[in-house]
Amino acid sequence: MWAARFDEGFVFGDLTPASVDTLKGVPMLIESSDARVRSRLLPETCDDPDDEEQWRRHSVPELERLFLSRAQLVRRDLAGLRPMAKSGNQLLLIPDGHVAAWLAALNAARLALYVLAELSAEVMEPENFDQASQKQQEALLRIHLLAEIQSVLLGDLDLESAGPFGDFVIE
Amino acid sequence: MLVRAATKEKTDTKTSSQTSLAKPWKVIVHDDPVTLMNYVTKVLMQVFGYGKEKAHRLMMEVHQSGRSVVWTGAREQAEIHAQKLQSHHLLTTLEVDDA
Repeated sequence: MWAARFDEGFVFGDLTPASVDTLKGVPMLIESSDARVRSRLLPETCDDPDDEEQWRRHSVPELERLFLSRAQLVRRDLAGLRPMAKSGNQLLLIPDGHVAAWLAALNAARLALYVLAELSAEVMEPENFDQASQKQQEALLRIHLLAEIQSVLLGDLDLESAGPFGDFVIE
Repeated sequence: MLVRAATKEKTDTKTSSQTSLAKPWKVIVHDDPVTLMNYVTKVLMQVFGYGKEKAHRLMMEVHQSGRSVVWTGAREQAEIHAQKLQSHHLLTTLEVDDA
């Protein structure tokens, strides 16, 4: 995978089928009805039960609507994936106006992968990768791939000097 | 007697509610091992309008202490801030400031 700036946004190239699969999972993870995902994306917010009930009634529905609309926007951008001539890998364009939504969506997906694979801070440490289960290793690779894309969108990587990066292999 | 008891209970509830409303509320961001540090900084800048230095300091407090009070003030505004932070998936809670 490589990334570059263009006039109106970011372009991600040479996305392998596994990377595309990970990206296509993003909206599905946001929309997941799994209790663990919902509990992380819509966490308990107030100690007092009455305050919490009020929070659930007033604030949570608006957050749910926002998450769904973000998932739709990401899905629309993913529908624009284009095959690259030589490699057959895919190219993704993310317009500047969609960057904020993508950043949040990628964060949500990474958090969802974390809880679904029952990861822990300890397992997240690179030196513990080999001790993780196969399911956890796959989740970790997906989490790191999505983090690379987030880092590009955050402007943390020098795209001028960066060549292909993110040597991820997800079988 | 029954009427009097009910009236007293109503009055107490109202007083308690008023006291709670008057107290400031704290917006607290908690650490999680997934969210990128630079993303936390960016969200704090965006939601509160903090400068990069302050947002970075708060992010480091979250990272090192496990949590940070990122804002304190009126309940309604605290709820708006918490909702915005949760919209970016920062692990956020609200507490009444009893101090």
